[in-house]
Amino acid sequence: MQAIYIQILALILLTIGLATALSRRNMFFVLMGIELSLNAVNLSLVGFAKTLPAAASIAGQIIPLFTIGVAAAEACVGLAVVILLFRNQETVDTDNYSNMKG
Amino acid sequence: MMIPLWLIPLFPLLGVLVLTAIALTSSPNEKGADEGLVGFLGVLFPSLAFIATVMLSVNMPVGGYRETIGTWFDIQVFHADFGLLFDGLSRIMLLFVTGIGSLIVLYSMGYMHGDRGFARFFAYMNLFLFSMIVLVLSDNLPLTFLGWEGVGLCSYLLIGFWNADTKNCKAANKAFLVNRVGDVGFLLGMLALVSVGGSSLLAYPELAAWLVNPEMGEQLLAGMPLLTLAGFLLFLGCTGKSAQIPLVTWLPDAMAGPTPVSALIHAATMVTAGVYLVVRLSPLFAILPEVLMTITVIGLLTALWAAIAGLFQNDIKKVLAYSTISQLGYMFMAAGVAAFDASIFHVFTHAFFKAALFLGAGAVIHSLAGEQDMRKMGGMLRKTPVTATVMVFAFLAIIGFPFFAGFWSKDLILEHLFMFNHFWGPVFYTIALLTAVITAVYMTRLMVLTFFGSYRGSAESEKHIHEAPFCMLFPMIVLTLGSVFAGFLWAGLIPGADFFKNWLAPVVAVPQMTATQYIGVPSAHVSTWMFAALGTLAAILGILIGWKAFSGPVPQAKGDCAPTGGKADWTFAFDKLHAWCGILPTRFLAWVTDVIVNRLVMFLQWFVGAVAVIFSDGVRSFQVRKVRMQLGFSILGMLAVLVIAAIYGGSL
Repeated sequence: MQAIYIQILALILLTIGLATALSRRNMFFVLMGIELSLNAVNLSLVGFAKTLPAAASIAGQIIPLFTIGVAAAEACVGLAVVILLFRNQETVDTDNYSNMKG
Repeated sequence: MMIPLWLIPLFPLLGVLVLTAIALTSSPNEKGADEGLVGFLGVLFPSLAFIATVMLSVNMPVGGYRETIGTWFDIQVFHADFGLLFDGLSRIMLLFVTGIGSLIVLYSMGYMHGDRGFARFFAYMNLFLFSMIVLVLSDNLPLTFLGWEGVGLCSYLLIGFWNADTKNCKAANKAFLVNRVGDVGFLLGMLALVSVGGSSLLAYPELAAWLVNPEMGEQLLAGMPLLTLAGFLLFLGCTGKSAQIPLVTWLPDAMAGPTPVSALIHAATMVTAGVYLVVRLSPLFAILPEVLMTITVIGLLTALWAAIAGLFQNDIKKVLAYSTISQLGYMFMAAGVAAFDASIFHVFTHAFFKAALFLGAGAVIHSLAGEQDMRKMGGMLRKTPVTATVMVFAFLAIIGFPFFAGFWSKDLILEHLFMFNHFWGPVFYTIALLTAVITAVYMTRLMVLTFFGSYRGSAESEKHIHEAPFCMLFPMIVLTLGSVFAGFLWAGLIPGADFFKNWLAPVVAVPQMTATQYIGVPSAHVSTWMFAALGTLAAILGILIGWKAFSGPVPQAKGDCAPTGGKADWTFAFDKLHAWCGILPTRFLAWVTDVIVNRLVMFLQWFVGAVAVIFSDGVRSFQVRKVRMQLGFSILGMLAVLVIAAIYGGSL
């Protein structure tokens, strides 16, 4: 399997993630979309790492592990923020979060 | 004998500190500080400076002493030191600055008796002497400028000493502001010098060495226009300090101060600073014939104008003020024809007789309880005989009566003027001789109105007339001796006493030689006796005219003593000139900046503000209510950055 296919898959995943984050109004779906694009980037990194010799590819395989760890923490914080927002605004619709408009 | 040079300025500085402390601590109590103590300290410190100067003067090596106390500025483009230089020129200047200064301070003890600001006055006097010593003793222009500003400040403080009267404050302001105009010239002159050859040129010995260094020939030639400019600008500074045309007007107004201050300003400090600077920079002026010519012409015009203006004054001190301006004119014309030593000689003799005249006038004013109008005086000869004698001797000295101090120095200047050039020399000589006649006329008028005839004041004030106390008479008598005998230091009549020229020679001999090369053909030598005879004739003619014209009845005094009508035009012409040429353009400039430039700046400010507001309003419309839209915008922005980076390869 050529590396380019992995990159194409990663690009498709990124696009789907961004489209979800931009088009859905539900806060949970927005978060999900963001997670998806993050993972697309992880996939892209691993895919590129595969093209390198074994000794050099190690960095490309480890960075996604870090990213997954950070993403888990981020999801944690993100969900907590959503819960607080819901308590405050009685809604999870992002279009209603507009009190900070200048 | 070698003692540290910084001791000389240190003594008056200590005096300032001690007297200021006394003045401040005694200010809350009703009577003020103890006059005996303050007077003693006030006289002590200048006298110590004088003694230090005398000790240094004895057996001074030809090159003098030079001493650097510390560094003042040290940046890449500019370097200046606190350097002191005690050579032939500063020796003579310091001897009479501290000597006559001490005598005047002693005199002030009697004159200022009972004044509430007694301690303050002596603190100022010490500060004045300190500044003048710094001015004379420094070995570079920046430090001289420090002293230069110092005497300007002190003249301001002392002219406006009796600050309860607005007129005095205005005179003080005028003196200060007119001096500032000259100071701008001084500063720009220094700048021009630095731009020609770096900041080392600001030190006098280095400047003199640089100007005669043959290796610097090309650089010197290339810098000639700038050097000429520097010469003119520095001379502008001198005209401000020495009250020459065009900055003459402050000196007559400066008479608002107490009389000892006038004596100090006119004899020992302040006005002689301009002449001193010209002589100090003689190596520079010697290669600038245009500047020298200007100095001569300015000196001549000032001397003539001030002498004529002096004829119309009724205030005894104003007559003396105009006579000082006139005598300073003589000093400048001597410097202008490259007779720098004659110029300093006249400064020296003038210091004695002008101090004696002012102190005498002060004694007269003191005995008349502050009356300065000569039309209300008269007959003082019998009432205050000692003062009158002092005044007579000083009078003979200033008009150049044979064998008195002024005779030798004025004669020397006239001789140098005549010899200067085969065409201009005789012209200059005639004008200067005419000025000498007028000098004798107005001085005779002063003497006749004050000391002869009968007393014209009220009978009540006549009873209070008294001779001055001893502490006032003593300085006057010493100065009288000076104005009689000071001339013999050059005259050569007494063997061994004519060391004045030799003292100055190490400083001015080379510049004088240089200058004669530029000036051109000197006129043929005429016998010295001829000049002496003509000078004597001028003095006697002046006395006769003055006696004939003014010994008659004196017009009744009305109002204040300022001249009126056509006479006022002679004296105040330069006030009008300043109003037209100095104040009016400045006002116009102020109007332009206020009305036009200010509006422009305000418009610019408004314009920038408006653009910012419009722009920010536009940007705000992007801040829509939807979070998702904003996320989309930020992704678009990131894409744009990526695209640009891809196109330009990150090397934008």
